[in-house]
Parts: sequence; C-alpha cells; structure tokens
Amino acid sequence: MKIDRRTMLGGAAAAAGLAGLPGGAQAQSRAETMRQVTGNAINTLDPTMLGSTREAFGLSMNVYDRLIAFGRKQVDGNWVFDQSQVRGELAERHEVSADGRTITLHLRSDAKWHDGTPVTAEDIKWSLDRCVSARSLAVSQFQTGSLTSTDQFRIAGPRTIQVMVDKPDRLALHNLGVPYAIMINSTLAKKHATAEDPWAQAWLQNNTAASGAYIVETFRPGEQVVLRRNENWKGGVDGALPYFRRIICQTVPEAATRANLVERGDADLSIDLQASDIDSLRSRGRVKVVSIPQTNGFTHIAFNTRMAPFDNVKVRQAVAAALPYEDMFKAALFSQGRKLFGATWEGTPPDASFPQPLPLRTDLDAAKRLLAEAGMPDGFATPFAFSAGQAATAEPVAALLKESLGKIGIRVDIQKLPDAQFNTAAAEKKMPFYTDAGTAWLPATYYFFYLYFTRDQRWNFASWDNPRITELANKARFEQDPAAYEAQCREMISILAAEKPLLMVWQPNQDAVMGPKVEGYTYQFHRQVDFRDLKRAG
Amino acid sequence: MSATAYGTPSTLRHVGWVLRGNPLTALAAAGAALLLFVGVAAPWLVPYDPIASDVAIALQPPSAAHWFGTDQLGRDILSRIMMATRLDLAIAASAVGISFLAGAVIGAVCGYRGGRLDRTVGRVVDVLMAFPLFVLAMAMVAALGNRVENIVIATAVINLPFYIRFARAEVNVRRNAGWVEAARAAGDSHLSVVLRFLLPNILPAMAVQISLNLGWAILNAAGLSFIGLGVTAPTPEWGIMVAEGARFITSGKWWLVAFPGLALMLSVLCFNLLGDGLRDILDPRMRT
Amino acid sequence: MSGAPPDGASPGTPEEAAAAAAEEVVRGTGGTHHTGVLSGIGRRIGRRLLSSLPAILGVVVLTFLLMRVLPGDPAVFFASGPSAGQEEIEALRRDLGLDKPIPVQLLRYLGDVATGNLGRSLTTGQPVVTDLRQRLPASLELTLCALLIALSLAVPLGILAALRPGSPVDHAVRFVCTLGVCVPTFVSGLLLIYVFYYLLGWAPDPTGRIDIFAATPPDITGFLLVDFAITGNWEGWWSAAMQLLLPACTMALFVLAPLARMTRASMLAVLGSDFVRTARSVGLPRWRVVVVYALRNALLPVLTIAGIVFSTMLGANVLVEKVFSWPGVASYALDALLSSDYAPVQGFVLLMASIFVLVNLLVDILYGIADPRVSME
Repeated sequence: MKIDRRTMLGGAAAAAGLAGLPGGAQAQSRAETMRQVTGNAINTLDPTMLGSTREAFGLSMNVYDRLIAFGRKQVDGNWVFDQSQVRGELAERHEVSADGRTITLHLRSDAKWHDGTPVTAEDIKWSLDRCVSARSLAVSQFQTGSLTSTDQFRIAGPRTIQVMVDKPDRLALHNLGVPYAIMINSTLAKKHATAEDPWAQAWLQNNTAASGAYIVETFRPGEQVVLRRNENWKGGVDGALPYFRRIICQTVPEAATRANLVERGDADLSIDLQASDIDSLRSRGRVKVVSIPQTNGFTHIAFNTRMAPFDNVKVRQAVAAALPYEDMFKAALFSQGRKLFGATWEGTPPDASFPQPLPLRTDLDAAKRLLAEAGMPDGFATPFAFSAGQAATAEPVAALLKESLGKIGIRVDIQKLPDAQFNTAAAEKKMPFYTDAGTAWLPATYYFFYLYFTRDQRWNFASWDNPRITELANKARFEQDPAAYEAQCREMISILAAEKPLLMVWQPNQDAVMGPKVEGYTYQFHRQVDFRDLKRAG
Repeated sequence: MSATAYGTPSTLRHVGWVLRGNPLTALAAAGAALLLFVGVAAPWLVPYDPIASDVAIALQPPSAAHWFGTDQLGRDILSRIMMATRLDLAIAASAVGISFLAGAVIGAVCGYRGGRLDRTVGRVVDVLMAFPLFVLAMAMVAALGNRVENIVIATAVINLPFYIRFARAEVNVRRNAGWVEAARAAGDSHLSVVLRFLLPNILPAMAVQISLNLGWAILNAAGLSFIGLGVTAPTPEWGIMVAEGARFITSGKWWLVAFPGLALMLSVLCFNLLGDGLRDILDPRMRT
Repeated sequence: MSGAPPDGASPGTPEEAAAAAAEEVVRGTGGTHHTGVLSGIGRRIGRRLLSSLPAILGVVVLTFLLMRVLPGDPAVFFASGPSAGQEEIEALRRDLGLDKPIPVQLLRYLGDVATGNLGRSLTTGQPVVTDLRQRLPASLELTLCALLIALSLAVPLGILAALRPGSPVDHAVRFVCTLGVCVPTFVSGLLLIYVFYYLLGWAPDPTGRIDIFAATPPDITGFLLVDFAITGNWEGWWSAAMQLLLPACTMALFVLAPLARMTRASMLAVLGSDFVRTARSVGLPRWRVVVVYALRNALLPVLTIAGIVFSTMLGANVLVEKVFSWPGVASYALDALLSSDYAPVQGFVLLMASIFVLVNLLVDILYGIADPRVSME
C-alpha cells in the first residue's frame, strides 16, 4: 500500500536522524552545515513580491540563478563585491553591441532546473517578461536600466536571448544581476498560474522553480529556512559547487542571543549584531569578526527641503556646521566605519567617486552666523525623527544632535517612531528633519544621484528638486565619454556639498561575526550573506 | 466587613500591630517614602547633569567619580536613575490615579443606579477584559504615539475595568445598607450619597489595589520600552535604561542594566509589599 | 453580577486577579452555583458561550478600529523595497482593500471572520489562520508548562506560609514570591540565558522549541512533548523539555506571587473553618488534616486563579517569546503590530479573547463539578 510505504519510509528516515549517524558522519554533516542567525525574517521565496524583506533578497541569490553574476575582490584583506567584473551565471557568456544598445546572452548548454529539465530560452524570456510586467518590485528596478517592455527581450536562438535598449544605458546589463532578476522554470511556474495571476506570484511566494546553488528544503516564514546544496549546479565560477551542503537560516530576534550563539559555536554566522557587542566579541577572541565598510550604503541626516525652515539653504548649512560629527561617530558606531564628514576640499571634489567624505565640520561660530544670516538668530523648534528599528545607533545620534543644536538656539524634540510609522511618514514626506540610511545596489555615482536626489519619490529623502542635478543625472546615465561622465559626477557632488539637502555622515561597517574557521565571507551589494562564497577551513 | 469600622482607634492599633508583626511592610513603607523623597528632590541631589553627554568618558565602569558608571554617551548613570525616579513615579501615579478616579466614579454610579447604564458599561468592561492587555497597551501607544502622556493613558485604560468592577460591586452591596437609606431619607441627593458616603467607604479596600498597580505600571512602562514603544531618549526613565542596558549583558557592561534594574525592582517590590501589608491591615480576620 | 469567581472581577494582571479572588474568598462568595446535574452544565455552557458573543464582537471591532488609527501604512511599509515607487504602494493598498472607506472595510472583515478567514499576513506571507494554527501549540505548551512549574512551587510555599501566618517563614515566602514579580520578564529571561546558556552551558541554545540539528517530530498535535511521547521518542522529548525549561521558568517566576498568595489566603480560610477544627479535635494527625481535609478544599480558589493567570500569561508572554525566539502567537502579533500589519494582530486578539472565554468557562465547569456544595444542592 502506497500510504503505508511512505509512512514507513518517513519513520525510517526520522529514526535514522535521531538514532544518530555514526559519530564521524554526524560531525562531518555539522561541519558542512552553515547556521546563520538573523534578527529579521525571510517572508517569501520570491524576492520580487511587494513587501519582501532584505533577507528574502539574500536567500534568493542562493536559490535562484540570474543571467549574470558579479565578481568579488579583496580590499584590505576582506572580500567585497566587484561590479566591474561581470561573469555569466545561467548565461555562459554575453556580448554588448558596439552601439551599446543590444546585449546578447548565450545560455549554458548544461544548465538544468532543480527538477532536472533543461533551461530554455523560452524560460528566460518568460522570466524577463515577468520582471517588467508582473506587479512587483522588479518593475521600478528594471526602469533604472531602461528595461520597461517585453518587446525588449527577444529569443535569438535555442539558447540565445537578446536584450535591447533605445539608448545605451550604463546599467542595463547590471540590472540583470540584481536580486529581482531571478530566472524561473516557466513550465513549472505556468502550471500554477491562474487567470488573475498569470505570473504565478502566489505560488512562487511559497515554492520555488529555480536552478540555483541551493534547493529549499523547508521554509517556515519568519522562523527558519533550510537549504540543501544543488549537486547539479553549474553556475559557479568554473562550475565549482559551494562548500556547504546544508544551510540553516534562522530568525533569532534578540541581538544579544545571536551574539551568544555565535560565540558559543552553536551558530556559524551573524551579520546583524549590535555595534556595542562587536568590540567585546573581538576582544574575547573566540569568534572571527570581519568588519567591512558598506561602500554602497550611507547613513544620513535629512532635511525636508520643501518645508520651512529647511527650505532655506542657510538654515541647512547652519545645522550642518553645528553637528558634533566626531562624537556622534564615536557614540553610535564606536568609531567603526568610514566617515563621510571632515573632508578638507572646497569647491570641487578630488575625484568622482561617491559616497565620499564631504567638507562637513563642526564650527559653532559659523553655525550661529549662518543662522543669523537666515534671519533666525534665536533659533527655532523642530522635531527630529528616527525609526525604532535603528534605535541602537540613531538614539545616541539624536541625543547628541539635540544637545549640540541647543547651543545655537535650535530646540529639538526627538521622536522615535515604530518602523511602519516612520516609513509611512518618510514616504509621505511629512518629516522635516530625520535620520535614515540608504543602500544602492548598483553603486555608480550617477545612480546615487538619480535614486536619492531626483524625482518626487520615496527615496528622494530630502525631497530635493535641483534642476541642474536632474539634468546632470539624466545626462550622465547615457554618457559614453568617460571624461565627460566624470566631470558631470564631480559637478553633482560639489552642488550637493554646497546645498546640503541631506548630510551623509558615515558608512557603517558590515560586521560579520562568524566561527573561527569560516572563510570567504564577502560583503555583497545587497548586504546579505551569499552562502556560495563561504567555506569552513579544515 | 462593616464599612464604618475604618478610622477608629481600634484600627490604628491594628495598623500598629500589623506593622510590628510584619517588618516587611514597615520596610516597604520606608522604601516608598525614600523613593518619593528622591523623586521630589532629584534635581537638587544629582551629582551630574543627567542629560549632558561627554563621549570621552563613555561606558566607564563604576568609579569614585561615577558611582554607578557611565553610559554610551558618557552620562552619569546614578544621576539618570535619580532623575528617572521622578518620571517613573509620575507615570505610575498618574496612570493609576486616572484609572482609579475614572473607575471608581463610573463603577460607583453603575452600582448605585443599576439598570441599562449598568448593563452597557458592563458590556464595555467585558470587551476590555477579553483583550490581551499588554497587546492592547502596545497597540494604543503605537496608535497614539510614544509620548509619556500616551503611556500613562494606555496603562490607565488597561487597569480601568478592574476598578469599575470593584467599585461597582462594593457599592452594589452597600447601596441598600441602613446608613445609606438614612442619608437618603435625610434629604441627600443621589450624587451626594455616592460621593460622600459610598465612595469614601470603598477607598481603603481599593488602596491595596492602587499600591499593587503602582508597581505594575512601572513594569508595564519598562516592557513598552523594551519593544521600542517607551519614553524617547534622552529623557531618563528606568524602563528604557533597563531595556537598553539589557542588551549590553553579553558584552560584559553589567552596570548599564544592573543599577537601573535594581532601582526598578526595588520600587516595584516596595509597592507590592506595601499593597500586601495594606491587605493584611484591612483583612478583618487578622484582627482576632 | 453572579458571585462565582470566574464571572466576577477577572482582571488583567495576575496581581489583580489575586486581589480579586482573595476578596471573593474573604467574603465567602465563591462557588454559589445552582446547577449540579450534567444537563444543567450543558445548558450553562451554551448560555455562557452565547452571552460572551457580544464581548468577542466588541473585541473584533475595537481591534479593527485601533489598527486603523495606527499612523503606519502597511502598504508603504511593505512596498519599501530599494526601488519601490508610489505605484507599488497604491497597488498593494488596493490589494489589501485599504483604498475602501473604513466602514466598508469593517463590514468586509466581519464577513471574512464569520467565514473563518482572518486575512493574510504581510510579514510571513501566509494566511493568518495557518500562522496561528501553527504557532498556537507553541504558546499553549509554554504557558501550560510555566503554569505547572509555578503551581508546583507556589502551592507548597503557600501552604507553608499559611501553616505559620506571621512567622519568618511566612514573610520569607512572601518576599521571595514578590521578588519574582518585580523583575521585568525580559530582564529575567536575558539573565537566565546569560547564566545558564552562555556562562554555564547547561541549557540548550535559546532559539525556539527544538534543537535545530535534531529531527523534527511528526506533526500530530503540535505539542512537542505530546508528539514525542506518542512516537515514543524519549530523546527528542528530553531535548524539547530542556528547550522549554528556561522560558517556562521565566514566566513562572512572574506568576508565583499571585498563586502563592492565593494558596495562603485560601488555606488560612479553610484551616479556620469548622470542619477542620472538628477534624483536629478528633485527634487526626496534623499532616492528614492539612493535606486531606484542608488542601482539597483550599485548592478550588487556586484553580480559579490558575485559570485567570493562564489566559493572562498567554496574552502577556510577548516579551518572553521574543527573548527566547519562541515561535508562538504573541511574538507573531508583536512583529505584526510594529510593522502595522493589520490582519495578524486582529487575528491574534480574536484568538486570545476566545481562549479567555473558553478558559473561564472551563474553570467554571470544573468548579461546578468539584465544589461539594454544588453536588449537595
């Protein structure tokens, strides 16, 4: 009888698991298992779903393949993502036409979905169409690469696909490597599509149709996800399989507990511990702490440039001159990270990289003078908001800011808002003065400006509308001449430094705490763990 | 339990007897008095400005200069604890005060009048009672904004049903007592009967509850702080100091949580033991 | 107001509960029930369930409105991907029905609830009913174990105190129990973890209900201890029990005081009653009088309190679940609340209110069965 046999098998498997494999084999399997603990939850297996968490993005990098993948490089002895290297993942190679308007991708001949069926050009076309058609997070991301319509994706051969853009967009190719650009087994997915849900979004939320390095074994949203290695994976560098056979990704809300777990060796990795714990973990020396500046992210203090008194550039400059940057850096981050304040240049920046330190310095006299010039010698009152989720670093910042601004007559009322409220207020542009953070997946200088300083949208934190910046950002996007591009970027940076719509204060470190034998941790542009990078030293 | 028995010389003797027989209550009373004193006199007692930061001396363990150490911003923890006493007592007292006053009046009126009003209020109380109360408090603070007054209101609301029921039951038992009838016959209005005769008589029994609730209100505020819905920095408050300090346990900076935790614990302990003692004093069976 | 304790003041905190029940005992109003036969009990259950419906409805409506007052907009929060724009936010809002006026939303929600649909959680992406069904056993198991631990400590302590009222033993018991209620549960939880897991290494890692590397039990009842026992897997049973121990102790500490106080008060009342005096006067051994005659009668009010404490704990163990990464319903509701995810919070509150009603009912029935006065009538 079928049912009986299945129960029996299940029972036998459970018994084998519990009765304990021979000691050696069990130790072996633990060594090849990676247990990551995180404070946040993975809420979907489809990263493009509206409302997916950052952890869901990270997971999808391991479960789904994209057409292309980015390389990594060593910086100060640590691994960091490198988007100047683009390699094939599902595609074995790609070419960009001379005019920069056509990208041709050739699929691997041996690429297989998790169910063993071969990956076809039709699957790829369907997946790319889904990114620009389904109601999902992918649509607006793909727009930043000028990818907006299904007409832009063409099947050019049994294993060849072409992506076409009207103008040579700097980031068209790169967008194919972001977490949203997942390649889906369309035959499988279509079985679960319905008339209202042609892209099988409901089904893919809890199931996968993927080809990536890992296969989802169990998925308990908000609790844990268990992955096992896909032994047929071909998308790695030189076709190599990742080291770990099994991945357990578990949600442990309390940061102190996560620190305990890693330090006692029960967990192997955590990337979201508190800055306050990092120091003591490092000094006790039982774990390995890898600290890497988040080169594509930034913490900022934003003014709403459309709201009085911050619509006045003098007021913004006055506040900028009154902030105790060094103290804030020390209190919030325990001096761990990269400062974006304190540069000594005036006028034009030394290079076109971004974010880079801007000339922000504490000078209370200048602050008082600027405030008087703004017509408010006696100061004013303003709220200052941050989200409860960022309290560990934002609370000291707020306290110091309040104290320091008090010295020039600005009375600050600190507001700690629950995350949902904070995000709503930010999206509705209701907060005059607040601190928040941003991360750009594709950290090109123009992309930062395009994303964070133009248009009337959620991520224009300061609601800044500077015609010159808008013009430059749009020009730089399609600029083919490197020298002209660099000049445009420098000009944007110098305008930002003068106008101060928001103050980028620092790039916090990504502190990854891991067992002493874990190697290869790489800081990825999506700020999550890519398990394929990791191994355990013998 | 005769309502008129309170306040007679025999009661005073009884109080003295209970206090002698129950050193804990006496100790708790002394502790509460001390808390009150610190709360009132804190601004003159603190050795340092509890708000002023000095990052250069952040996170220092207890020393001669800073008896309880310093926090992340280099603020003196002892000063912050002393200042916090004032705010915490104020939060607890006003939360319990509001729920007691509102609850006693609503409950007394319902118990006295009965009828449809009584039934309607009873229904509302039923609804509140069936709520998971901490979650109700959380939701209210989240909805109204995490300011001190909203924490007070949330705490008051979740205590309200108890006071309403208690007052209602007490008044209901007494409304037909001889002395109430007598007052009414002497021309007192209903309002005056409730306010002048019935309410004062249920006060002592409620004192037990008030004392217990004071402690509980402080715990409630601490719990709210832990999940990020408490008083906002840089205002010193025990709950938020404990909640933030608790996260430093792992890194070995014990003074951040130990001292505010101790202050919080001792004050809750005082109020609880005091409530307990009051119950003994009011318990008629203890007198024999 | 009926005099039976479960109907009477059943306030929010264990402290208040104790105070209320103590009051009932002092006045001797506990247990004046009128029905004794089974059909009577059945009728009473029906009547009680029916009469609690308005309260449940009130809870549903109130929660619904409270969630709508929250300044956070779930659509904005959940569509906040790195590149989400206004369009995604609007789309999600339409999806959730948030573009409709509030009365329409409420009516629709009530209709859904009536058909057993509690909506979908944005945080986990699952239907709320599924989430709650998966997580409720975890919360129930934890709370029940905590209650058992608390009772097994509080009852002996209470008896001890009652045997020598006013003695140092009495004061010591009172002091120790009160200490437990003075420490916020998140502090005692973190301390227990620090000492027993981090420093001593006695406890297993505080991350949920079962060792992550162990095999999960077959999902029969959802109560791990029961499931492991059914399958005869005692190794698994032991591991689950060890996981349970620290969080259960954290919770037990917090409710020790009301239970011990109730036991003491109730024992005092019984020890002073006529039949115990009679039993003593006929020369029965002291322990026999205490255990057989006094304790049996004194336990009824304790049972009442235990019921109230249970439903309070279930709703109030948010922080314990959070600290121990316990996959229960309360931490689920907390996460949802902080991200303005309406449906799970509403579902949770509804569930808690229903359990509150059921537990009260259960206590009432047990009381009716156990109280000798009921069967005599």
